[in-house]
Amino acid sequence: MLYYLQDVIDGVLMGSIYGLLALGLTLIFGVLKVINFAHGSFLMLGMYVAYWTVSLTGLHPYLSLILVVPAMFLFGYGFQKALVQPIFKAESDVREPITVIIVTTGVWYILDNLALLLFGPDYRALTPNPLKGKMLELGEIFISLPKLYGCISALVTAGALTWFLRATRTGRAIRAVSLDREAASLMGISQWRIFAVAMGIGTSIAGISGVALTPFYNVYPTVGVPFDVKCFVIVVLGGLGSIPGAMLGGVIIGLVESLGPVFMTATWTEAIVYGLFLLFLFVKPSGLFGVKYDW
Amino acid sequence: MREGMFKSILGAALAIGLVASSLIPGAAFAADKVVKVGNLLPLSGPSASVGLQGKQAREMAVEEINAAGGIKSLGGAKMELLFADTKSDPNVGVTETERFINTEKVHVITGAWNSSVTYPTTAVAERYGVPYLVEVSVRDTITERGFKYVFRIAAKDSWWTRDQFAFLKDMEKEFGVKLATVAFVYENGDWGTGFAAQWKKLAEQAGLKVVLDEPYPSTATDLTPVVNKIRRANPDILLLTSNAADAILLTNSLAEYKVRPKAIIGSGGGHADPTFISGTGQNARFVFDIVEWETDVNKPGAKETNEKYKKLFGYNMTGEAVDAYVAMYALADALERAASTDPKKLRDAMAATKLSKGPASIIAYDSIEFDESGQNKNAALSIVQINDLGKGLERVTVWPKAARRAGYTPVFPMPQK
Repeated sequence: MLYYLQDVIDGVLMGSIYGLLALGLTLIFGVLKVINFAHGSFLMLGMYVAYWTVSLTGLHPYLSLILVVPAMFLFGYGFQKALVQPIFKAESDVREPITVIIVTTGVWYILDNLALLLFGPDYRALTPNPLKGKMLELGEIFISLPKLYGCISALVTAGALTWFLRATRTGRAIRAVSLDREAASLMGISQWRIFAVAMGIGTSIAGISGVALTPFYNVYPTVGVPFDVKCFVIVVLGGLGSIPGAMLGGVIIGLVESLGPVFMTATWTEAIVYGLFLLFLFVKPSGLFGVKYDW
Repeated sequence: MREGMFKSILGAALAIGLVASSLIPGAAFAADKVVKVGNLLPLSGPSASVGLQGKQAREMAVEEINAAGGIKSLGGAKMELLFADTKSDPNVGVTETERFINTEKVHVITGAWNSSVTYPTTAVAERYGVPYLVEVSVRDTITERGFKYVFRIAAKDSWWTRDQFAFLKDMEKEFGVKLATVAFVYENGDWGTGFAAQWKKLAEQAGLKVVLDEPYPSTATDLTPVVNKIRRANPDILLLTSNAADAILLTNSLAEYKVRPKAIIGSGGGHADPTFISGTGQNARFVFDIVEWETDVNKPGAKETNEKYKKLFGYNMTGEAVDAYVAMYALADALERAASTDPKKLRDAMAATKLSKGPASIIAYDSIEFDESGQNKNAALSIVQINDLGKGLERVTVWPKAARRAGYTPVFPMPQK
């Protein structure tokens, strides 16, 4: 019984961090209606920013958020303005230009290879890292402290984002644009500014996940790839554009990954994750919390 | 009129000369004086770091060979390296091999680190009759298909597992510790599953009980579940086959969950990666690893070569780097004896290799000699232990006992904290 409890705890902790990363992706999708294939690379970027901030200044890993969040926001904002917006304007007759997907894929390749060029293929471990390997030991149960911090960051971020979207003017404008661009524009909302703000927030959330990961995960140029794929699965599972959906989807994937190996070899859990993905696409394409009808 | 005729005769003669020289490979060769070596390596993706080591070691060797006058029997021809990134993907590897042979017209191919890439790409080279020198890939069957143009420098993987078990047996005897149970944890690629299949047979022969047999995807983002399985299985021996990122993740998680088997033994690869120690720190202490080569090897020139390498690239040579470095010298040696880039002649020269002198002698064994199948029959392995002897963590050769670093006693079994 204790075994299962240990696995459930591990799964929930890791899963909530997956959910945190998926949060950024789902927000970007919800507003722009296009899949951002570069999201994993944004995570990688966030991890490197956190890594360099900590190793150059010696700050606590979580204090690097002060730099990571604004830096990633500006990056996302600029990315939207410089690369995505021109495509939206050029292909204004369609709501979700396919070209954007190709551009984000291109950006993914460019960023990953740029990192390879600049930083080399080394696996970098955060130093100094006061959280490294810290465990809370409750009898037979071990709880990884850096993962617990990550889980708390995920919950705080999800809560803050929900509040922001409900209570602030910009947040409401973001929701309006994601519901109906035309109507929002007629109400005097600048959709271009909202797109860029949403991309900025989504990117800075990728940065927060980077900060949550670096204390227990190595940084390397292609670190985003395995997370990226998982993120798509989570977003589909939870419902495209849904915040609780992303968190719950993340936890489900985390649980499958941690409980699956108790009953079978670890290789199979990947098959289950993708099987779940296909199943949802067939049976409930709108996901757990997604809206059934697209506006 | 006469002058015009002379000119046209001269022109015709020149034309014939040109055609003839392009028909005779040797003649065309004398004109450009370059031996093209196509190298397949994983330069991006999960194995990019070992790919880079292979690239840098090759570049250093070829620079030395060219600076020393190139291939003398070919009029001082220089070796030219071409690199292709396989991304650890067999399909990309095959396409790049075709490009090397058909477009780049390389004279010889080396590579490809990942066994899964080497296996199909060697088949392509064999079909075209282009010599292929495999420096590292360990899958047994690579040299067991009756191919004539494929040669391998590294030991086969069955030799690696054989020596891991021989080492365990010797340790049992030396320290009087009884080992009863064993766990296998390995990446689910060709390499890991190949090792595991042999471990299973060897464990049975050694009378060890297998308490866990666990493949995992090396792209996994979290290996805690696997570590928890090891913790519950509580084995005496933990045998691992991991790439770099997963080796680091596993070692750290094992230490965090306080899983301390009597012996943890890696299989090179990720455990031999220079970033492994920096990524794990004290968590890697007392871990054993099987390698082809270590910097403390007692061979002439080894120390100097490693120092030069470290100065150039900032880290010590690994088994992979040494094999890549030595492969270039083995190639140069074969080219020198073949005195030709004709694939058939080069192949015959490679088959007759007996290399024990010069820079290539930094290898841990005596000489490079290929058997009928193209396998280097002398390739041998040793076991190292990661330990801190007061100068930070380092890899110390412990087995075979004859090669053990003077004054070092292995820490066995792993101390329980």
